Amino acid sequence: MRIKIVSIPVTDQQKALDFYTDILGFVKKVDLPLGGGNRWLTVVSQNDQDGPELLLEPAPLHFEPSKVYQDSLKEAGIPWTQFYVDDCQAEFNRLSQLGVTFSMEPKEMGTVVAAVFDDTCGNYIQIVEEK
Amino acid sequence: MQVNKINSVYPLKMALLSKRNMTDRILKFSLQCRTSTMTYYSQELERIKKICFSNEVQLERAINTKKYIDQHFDSLINLDVLAASSHTSKYHLIRVFKKYYGTTPRQYLINKRLSKAKEYLREGRSVSDTCFSIGFESINSFSNLFKAKNGMSPSRYRRAIFDKSE
Repeated sequence: MRIKIVSIPVTDQQKALDFYTDILGFVKKVDLPLGGGNRWLTVVSQNDQDGPELLLEPAPLHFEPSKVYQDSLKEAGIPWTQFYVDDCQAEFNRLSQLGVTFSMEPKEMGTVVAAVFDDTCGNYIQIVEEK
Repeated sequence: MQVNKINSVYPLKMALLSKRNMTDRILKFSLQCRTSTMTYYSQELERIKKICFSNEVQLERAINTKKYIDQHFDSLINLDVLAASSHTSKYHLIRVFKKYYGTTPRQYLINKRLSKAKEYLREGRSVSDTCFSIGFESINSFSNLFKAKNGMSPSRYRRAIFDKSE
């Protein structure tokens, strides 16, 4: 058994694809039509394209409990997931210049530095630098 | 930006959500929002930080040990060396490192070396060159460990990368 896919709910798949590739720098890996305008849509890390795939799934549009859960996390500022970066402050600066909104600026948290931004598709995402 | 360890925020998320008084906390937080820009999550991080990371001496010792391993993974490293570099006892160092990184210094060193091995093999370096460049003294033990961790031998991993790029 292997971990190959992890998913994140998004309110608009195309908007999410644009954000996760153009802004965050991930690379589109799989894009399959599933009918009804839905897609099996995954992105991967630029430097680890055989690594885990992030599935941008339209669950909040079709399954109300998913939307409730997503909205509740967002309201509390809790990130849906986290990505690893080499330099949290540098990534914060880069993304801020691109217009990304942060709910938490880089903060020391034990052995990591973390910041939280809005992915514009219904989620907060945490970026983490390991010290 | 790496999509790795991407589930590791979940234990913290679940810890926050499983609190019986979460609703009360969020309501209280909503009221605070009128005067503060901090989210509930940021406030919880501050609270957890005070509980888990208040011992700065210990924290610094763990971080410095990790940095030492990161910088010297290709050399002879053992607990005696690490303990001497952080001016503490071996057993205390193991406890402190595990407390802040969730793994032992030895396991961290092995993972660091094997991760570097994959990087070197992807660059096209030979198995033996890779083996000695990451601090292993025996190709057999390197190959066995690599296979146990990655499901294939270093030579097969190298071939798979090469085949894919053709």
